[in-house]
Amino acid sequence: MLNRRIFTKTIGVAVICASAPATLAHSAEKLSQDKLVDLVKVVDDRQRNSGDWQSLVYIEQKEKNKVDVVYETLVFRRSEDQKFMIVFAKPKASQGQGYLRIDKNLWFYDPSVGKWERRTERERIGGTNSRRSDFDESRLAQEYNPEDGGEEKLGAYTARVMSLKGKPGLDLAFPTLKLWVDKATSNVLKRQEFALSGRLLRTSYYPKWKKLYSESKKGEIWYPQEIRFYDEVEKANSTLILIRSVDVRPLAPNLFTKAWLESRSR
Amino acid sequence: MSTLFITFKIATANLIQHGRRTLFLGSAIAAVTTLLVLLGGLSAGVRDSLVTTATTLSTGHVNVGGFFKVTSGQSGAVVTGVSKLKPLAAQAVPEAAFMVERGRGWAKVVSDTGSIQSGINGVDITNEPEFKNVLTLTAGKLEELARPNTIMIFVGQAAKLGVGVGDAITISAQTTRGVANTIDCEVVAIAKDVGLLSKWNTFIPAETLRRLYQLRDDSTGAIHIHLKPQFIDQSTQIAARLRTALEKAQYPVMEPNSAAFWMKFQSVNREAWTGQKLDVTTWEDELSFIIWTLSLLEGLRFVLLIILLAIVITGIMNTMWIAIRERTREIGALRAIGMQRGGVLRMFLAESLMLGLVGTIAGATIGALIAFALNSAMIDVPLSVQLFLMSDHLRLLVLPGALVSSVLLITIITVAAAFYPALRAARLRPVEAMSHFG
Repeated sequence: MLNRRIFTKTIGVAVICASAPATLAHSAEKLSQDKLVDLVKVVDDRQRNSGDWQSLVYIEQKEKNKVDVVYETLVFRRSEDQKFMIVFAKPKASQGQGYLRIDKNLWFYDPSVGKWERRTERERIGGTNSRRSDFDESRLAQEYNPEDGGEEKLGAYTARVMSLKGKPGLDLAFPTLKLWVDKATSNVLKRQEFALSGRLLRTSYYPKWKKLYSESKKGEIWYPQEIRFYDEVEKANSTLILIRSVDVRPLAPNLFTKAWLESRSR
Repeated sequence: MSTLFITFKIATANLIQHGRRTLFLGSAIAAVTTLLVLLGGLSAGVRDSLVTTATTLSTGHVNVGGFFKVTSGQSGAVVTGVSKLKPLAAQAVPEAAFMVERGRGWAKVVSDTGSIQSGINGVDITNEPEFKNVLTLTAGKLEELARPNTIMIFVGQAAKLGVGVGDAITISAQTTRGVANTIDCEVVAIAKDVGLLSKWNTFIPAETLRRLYQLRDDSTGAIHIHLKPQFIDQSTQIAARLRTALEKAQYPVMEPNSAAFWMKFQSVNREAWTGQKLDVTTWEDELSFIIWTLSLLEGLRFVLLIILLAIVITGIMNTMWIAIRERTREIGALRAIGMQRGGVLRMFLAESLMLGLVGTIAGATIGALIAFALNSAMIDVPLSVQLFLMSDHLRLLVLPGALVSSVLLITIITVAAAFYPALRAARLRPVEAMSHFG
């Protein structure tokens, strides 16, 4: 059922993905470094909520020679102290499992063993090709220095291409990123992540963005309704993320606790 | 001396006279001994494969490993300052035959057609004297592993990845600081599977591993200390001594924990410290996840031994009772012509001793021959069994000491089982015995 919904609702993705290899029409127009930094800040700011966040997220993982896996999860965020939590609702085998970020530590809870395990920030969520940062607010300006890559046509969109290099002293999962930002909306359309060796690891597409009003921000926030990750090392693997039912009203103060997550499976 | 000789002469004559009974009981004793020898051989074979293969591929007899934590929640199996540690370890362990450095990592190995998760071992192949002895290559050359960006994998892994010698594969991992990194390697050697260890171990040059995980030149995963053969059984005491020496030299050392290093990540990540902590382990600690199979085998052997011995003891006692009943008049006659009670006792014990000795020697010989035949036949075992045998074929190791102890054990038990009936026979009164009609 989810598959059908995915494919009927995301014709736009196909346009971007299919046209991606043919988007080599570079524009000569260059942006100054300041303007580039400003653009990255805009990208971040459009997604910044400055408050609480709750959403229903479907994660679908396709891997070669394996059965497709679809997770239904609830994602909770609190901007104030960068708290973060993912709770698995489906399938039944994963029900009650969850990740909780406390003080820059990511913890994983499995109700079947009743134990908490500390995981790295770069943990693949539920074994898929998605990371915690994919569900969190964008902090590109804090972490990366941009370099201009000109303009490119990405399907029907004109995109500003940027190479982002990690700032010195920061331990980032991906030391280099390449970003395609929609010239008209400043939303990210495409993103590529590179290993330290320079090898392309993952390409992501953001075909659908949606906005809503946030009381805490006193303004609009944008979020991708759909993200598609393509594993560039294991070419046959891909991950689809659908973000639904976003709610930015304040959450209960005691939500981001181990006790709360444990109580979900009782 | 002559009395003893006469006793044994009479015992021999009795055994020959009751040929069918002697043959039946002797065969039972021989069968039990054969089984005992074969079970012992299997257990010793697995243990020997485990010690020789595993202590070459994945652990030393004693190891100086450890964890380096950049943040409290993120650890890597890394030992820093190896050039200072090695002389210290050499001084604390004079029983060492040699030491090797071994890089430790966990990564995804990806080919064009498949992928596996595997432990990545960084080796300096020019400094690995035992490597060639425990691995059988099916393709490629082990020496090629001296070149950077090369990899040695096992047959099962090659099949999963769909690669052969000369093909390129990508290793994808996170550095100790959590940064994604990859390295492309050429497959230069494919070795025959060696059980469980070949399921999740691949070998790359130590320098390539350092680049993958962005480690300093003076870092490694662990220092493997290989002991001289006569000291292998003392590895626990030697590890304790080494631990004390490192603590005296102001190194932070983890509490002893009998588990493989990769089983400790969870507990290490839960702890709040950062920086370096050393962990001194023995081969038994590092292989604790496999050693239970040995314990299981030993347990099984013990249970079987008890059952078989119970059968043998019952059989011998029964047969002796029958013999005494049949020979009561004979005992009476012997007593009447002057044989003392002690003489009767010795006669029956001598019978059981001879029966036990001949039976067990025959059984041990048959067991050793069967083991030799099975080893020569190189019988392939199913994959599930390979995992625990540490070998792709059945291997029994029958040691002379094990043969002698089997012979002695069962002979002693045979004599002990005969003792009570023999004592009863010795206590018979000559008049009653002679008038007995059975």
